[in-house]
Amino acid sequence: MKKAFLVMVLVALLATTTLFAAGQQEAAKPKVTVFWALYDGLTEEYRQNLQDAFMKEYPNIELDIVPIPWDQVYDKLTTSLAGGNPPELSVIGTRWILELLALDAVEPVDKWVSKTTLDNIFDGTKEAFINGQLWGLPVAAGARILAINNTLTKKVPATMEEMRTEALRIKNATGKYGLIMPGKKHTELTDFAYYLYSAGGDFFEINADGSYGKCIINNAAGVKALTYMVDVANKDKSVPAGYLSQTRMESHPVFYAGDAGYVMIGAWVDSALKQAGASFDVTYAQIPPFAGAKPAPLVITDSIAIFSGAKNKKEAGLFLDFFYRDEWKAKFDELIGFPPVTKSAATLPQFQSPLYQALNEAAAVAKPWPLIEGFAEMSDVIWDAVSMAYLGQKTPKQALDDAAKQVDAIKATYE
Amino acid sequence: MKHLPTHRLTADAKMAYALIAPAALFIAVFMLYPVFYVIMMSLFKTNKLGILQQWVWFDNFTRLMKDPVFWQVTGRSLLWTAIAVIVKTVVGMIIALCLNVEFAGRKFARMLFIIPWASSVPISAMLWKWVYDHEFGLLNHTLTLLGISNPPVWLGMPTWSFVACIWVDIWIGIPFMALVFLAGMQSVSRDLYESAEVDGVNAPQKFFFITIPCIKQIVFIATLLSSLWTFNDFNTIYILTRGGPAGATDILITSIYKNGFEWLRFSDAAVMAVVTFIILMVFALVYARTYFRGGDDAL
Repeated sequence: MKKAFLVMVLVALLATTTLFAAGQQEAAKPKVTVFWALYDGLTEEYRQNLQDAFMKEYPNIELDIVPIPWDQVYDKLTTSLAGGNPPELSVIGTRWILELLALDAVEPVDKWVSKTTLDNIFDGTKEAFINGQLWGLPVAAGARILAINNTLTKKVPATMEEMRTEALRIKNATGKYGLIMPGKKHTELTDFAYYLYSAGGDFFEINADGSYGKCIINNAAGVKALTYMVDVANKDKSVPAGYLSQTRMESHPVFYAGDAGYVMIGAWVDSALKQAGASFDVTYAQIPPFAGAKPAPLVITDSIAIFSGAKNKKEAGLFLDFFYRDEWKAKFDELIGFPPVTKSAATLPQFQSPLYQALNEAAAVAKPWPLIEGFAEMSDVIWDAVSMAYLGQKTPKQALDDAAKQVDAIKATYE
Repeated sequence: MKHLPTHRLTADAKMAYALIAPAALFIAVFMLYPVFYVIMMSLFKTNKLGILQQWVWFDNFTRLMKDPVFWQVTGRSLLWTAIAVIVKTVVGMIIALCLNVEFAGRKFARMLFIIPWASSVPISAMLWKWVYDHEFGLLNHTLTLLGISNPPVWLGMPTWSFVACIWVDIWIGIPFMALVFLAGMQSVSRDLYESAEVDGVNAPQKFFFITIPCIKQIVFIATLLSSLWTFNDFNTIYILTRGGPAGATDILITSIYKNGFEWLRFSDAAVMAVVTFIILMVFALVYARTYFRGGDDAL
């Protein structure tokens, strides 16, 4: 028995030593993990090529670019932070940065990236520049626009009211859908924001010192926006019949298939249409305001941040320098369809098309998300209010009144 | 003089302890510690990373108990579990009875029935998400062909989405119940049925007075396991609806995830986890008590 026990202990020791040695060997090569958001248009081939090219140039660094659907990046990131195992780098919505700063989870990125890379980025896109430091490099920045399927309509609406009338005409005349309307909750509150901003509304009042005050989504502009959304969907029925079961990502393919007249969308629309094999002509225009209001499309910036709990920040900085070269970043911008954030890429011929002209025009008057802590939870509450209005469980006014109260309560927990 | 018994461990006992130690350590680190930490989080104010900040006694519990949404979610979890387990048990029993009958291709039929159970839950849920798709889904396409011009928006309307989610959970769980019941049925002695036939007993009587009493213990265990799994079925709901529309399919387990990892409210999530733990523990204890009390009657 003693002999058998001895043999077992020896085997266990051997196994442990071998595993430890293997671990040491791996540990000798620093590893950079990147949470890579899967934008529409971004291909697996590009991700793989970028990873291979970086490791060829830096054979002593292991790079793991982890592809993650956009809707799951926030959850994956918070889970990894809570578990004490953050990646070196992650694509983030810039609006998450305050939350990440409160957690002391991010590093100033300008500490690790070369001056050449930083100087090549447009200052206007550095939304993550807070308290004198840059907490993330802009990876994608673009205003939202209106895409119009010319097979179904050539009308460029000047107001939301005109768009509603034309959407109804398309439905009645062609049997197709007038407008894409995602009705199922997803990570972003983009769809409500399009209408809210176009009605002249906002999420919060702004105090004299520039800080955010009470939630005002339930004011006249907010109610006008939500009433419009409910009416287009439920009265006119000029949106896809199953809109309530479609997130943004699930609803856009209906437009790519040529079955809808209008969609409010981001710059990726062009490459997504190409990848879907769409053969119809498309006009790009501004998201129209409601009559009497000023145009105010939503602008969204995403950044790439370095995490303070990560082990290999220096190597992460090297990867960013590599990725922001035109060879890779301009190709990335082209694939996802966003306007370039680097000065050198902006001069390239592929970024001089009508789509980019429309995007630049929109950027001039665009409005960003509020930069406020707890916005993920607030978005969820507002999404539920929108869903309840769609379902007829509450009137738009009731739904937004209740949501505004909840949002104020959430905001109070951060003060 | 009387010698006291010595408690020196034998070589076999030492070996047994040595072999058990790694598993015991693994359980302590990866199961008991997280459970302990969750209980602590429910009694503390935590930061956004779930780190304990301040002892608040039962404040987190009282705050959550005052929230009507918490009660709706808890009630929905119980309803979800009750409906799913009852349907799985009844349908599983019917399928087991059919598969217990001798017929050509019985082995093939049994193999087919195991497929939903053998597939991973996320893959099954994604498959059903495509089936339920309003625009391109197989279900609505079929319903339209059958003349139903306005089929439901399965994952967009509160009641239909609850029904759709529960059906997927049932679809995944039925094979387990059917196979466990079938195994039980096959262990019942044929002599009992033959004696009953001699006494003129009909088929329903055989089922209720021979089969059911004989497989009672197995039914107990299968429904207990199914209840625990169903109550904690996160994948199905998260993939199909993420708890929507407007919270209509949110159950405790999805709400725990939402509070913890989407809103970073770890204390609230921990309170819900403790409540879930208590509900399932009470249920399991009551069940176990009934099971062991019935043990003497088992055949």
